[in-house]
Amino acid sequence: MEPKQRIVAAMAIVLTLVGLSWWQFWPPGERISQGLDIQGGLSVILTAQETPETPVTNEVMDRAELIVRNRVDRLGASEVSIQRQGADSILVQLPGIRNAQEALEVLGSTGQLEIRDVVGIDETGELILGEVLLTGDVITSASVGANPQNPAELEVNVTFDSEGARAWADITGARIGQQIAIVLDDNVESAPVVRDRITGGQTSITGNFTAEEARRLRTVLETGALPVALEFSESRVVGPTLGQDSLRRGVYAALLGLGLVAAYLAAYYRGMGVLSWFALSVFASLFLGVLSLLSNFGWFALTLPGIAGIVLTIGLAADSEILMIERFREEVRDGRTYRSAARHGTRHAIGTSLDADLVTFVSALMLYTFAIGPVRGFALTLMIGLAIDIFNMVFWSRSVIILMAEKVIPKAPWLFGVKGGEADAKA
Amino acid sequence: MLRREFDFLGLRRAFFIVSVVLVTVSIGALAVRGLTFGIEFQGGTVVNLNRAEGVEIGEVRDAFDEAGLPGVQVQTTENGGFIVRAPEDDPDVANAAYLRVIETLGLSADDGDVATIGPGWGRNITRAALLALTISIAAILLYVSLRYEYKMSLTAVFTLGHDVLLVLGVYALVGREVTPSTIAALLTIMGYSLYDTIVVFHRIKENTKALTRTTFSKMANHSLNQVFARSVNTSITSMMPPLMLLLFGGDTLAGFAFALVVGIFIGAYSSIAVATPVYTLWKEREPKFQALAKKYGAAA
Repeated sequence: MEPKQRIVAAMAIVLTLVGLSWWQFWPPGERISQGLDIQGGLSVILTAQETPETPVTNEVMDRAELIVRNRVDRLGASEVSIQRQGADSILVQLPGIRNAQEALEVLGSTGQLEIRDVVGIDETGELILGEVLLTGDVITSASVGANPQNPAELEVNVTFDSEGARAWADITGARIGQQIAIVLDDNVESAPVVRDRITGGQTSITGNFTAEEARRLRTVLETGALPVALEFSESRVVGPTLGQDSLRRGVYAALLGLGLVAAYLAAYYRGMGVLSWFALSVFASLFLGVLSLLSNFGWFALTLPGIAGIVLTIGLAADSEILMIERFREEVRDGRTYRSAARHGTRHAIGTSLDADLVTFVSALMLYTFAIGPVRGFALTLMIGLAIDIFNMVFWSRSVIILMAEKVIPKAPWLFGVKGGEADAKA
Repeated sequence: MLRREFDFLGLRRAFFIVSVVLVTVSIGALAVRGLTFGIEFQGGTVVNLNRAEGVEIGEVRDAFDEAGLPGVQVQTTENGGFIVRAPEDDPDVANAAYLRVIETLGLSADDGDVATIGPGWGRNITRAALLALTISIAAILLYVSLRYEYKMSLTAVFTLGHDVLLVLGVYALVGREVTPSTIAALLTIMGYSLYDTIVVFHRIKENTKALTRTTFSKMANHSLNQVFARSVNTSITSMMPPLMLLLFGGDTLAGFAFALVVGIFIGAYSSIAVATPVYTLWKEREPKFQALAKKYGAAA
């Protein structure tokens, strides 16, 4: 049996953590990040379409991610998140974006790279494009290097496949001294002048590139080499007030649920139920504290499915309290002293709750690992909640019952809904 | 033990009939009405128009017609909005049409949302979610088999099958949409309910060790009584918060909440009415317990 000091120390630690949590999460509206479905904005999942000739490999996805980044850059959105989802998808989130329509058009463009004739310049200074000479699928790779003639200058080297090499020789041979345009998704990315007929399938594009520009052009050229198409799998455009409405309702429902559970526990278990209010408050404080801490590091953002996960864990935390109270009462009924029932009963109850929590945790972990899309938010808050529940049981709820069983409960067993224990036995 | 005990196992015939009726109704509902699948499964667009007081349902339909999304399904929501479903699976087209619609109806884009799912995507995420949960349920069952015994494990699977059928029946009867999120929520909560069953089994196992002067079913019934208060109370408290979410949480959260509430309810019922009686019937066939039943069975 643990000495009393250890019990008190555990409670002191928990209370300190509760204090720290409040300091951390208050005000929750600012301290807990909000996901896109609450904050509003555009969320899109793009999936690489596999064909029999070209499987979607990791390398293909690396390149696809670059292309997506390139497209998003063009939108000039401020906070952007681009993440891989599963083996073949990319999740793009643009919170608070106003022109979702433009974003959808840009993100949904085909990534078509063309080399075209330049036939003139219009009055606004834009190039007038002519015939499409070559499409990007003949490019096998592109890299940035120093210009051998002028090492201070950067150049972009392009390698063609054999078909591309032949075509490139013909194209350049017929256009020495003329300008051609490298066009990605109808945007002119670069318009170099042909110096010579180029054979051998290798060409260099020189210009006054900064390192940034050269890298960008390389990405553009590599885009042409992406062998798979990226298509929309999922797109959500969420208006900001709609999300805030949902959040308000979700929080309201969660508080109502918490209140009902607390009332039920007090009605059924009387004093023991009231003790569990403190446990539920500790649970809620630590939960918000952890969510806010994770938000700090950008590891968490509250989504609507996440709220559903939180609401579910409120019930599971109450479940743990009930297990503990029931076991305690049962052991008192069976003739143990309050003291020993508190220590023995709570230990057993924690064993049972631990099993229950672990079983649910495994489900949530699998869901988080394998599932794609909004469901992961549900799994994440559920896991966090379960971990806090276990901590709360071991360090707080158990300590409280043990402490109360020393002096307080024996004085007024009826108040705590326990009867038939040592008090009755002595009488 | 002098407290009065409730004879759950004496009711097993009644439970059996109830379950058979419920399963039959579920199968019937599934056959006749079928399930309503969300756009996630077939691809398409769902538009949420919030704060649309004063707009008539016909106006909404006409506005979508004009905007180039004809033949939409329009549904009103409890808080004066609309949910519109269209088969369009190109987000670009869907969003452009949505912008025209809110302009026609004089609404703000701030109060709405548009979700578009490409074809084949639902299969993808459902497969992932089902994979996750199959693995987790397999892991749970393996754990039960190792820690307890295989008969408990198989009974738990049987009970889970019963629960899944009833839940699907409820969805078919009510006509609520089945989405990948509801499937995930449901199966998570079923894992939890499975655990509820295991708590009863755990107690039966403990009591089996000391089983001498009574029959297996009396002992099982005693075990059920011992954990009954706990089972009922935890089911009630687990259900309260999702129920509040269902009633007051708004449309988006209601889908999750409905799945959780139905799952918890059916799971709680089946651990008492299905799992324990089935397990008891099975165990009583073992020679050791048959002998006990012969000896002490008559003196009820």
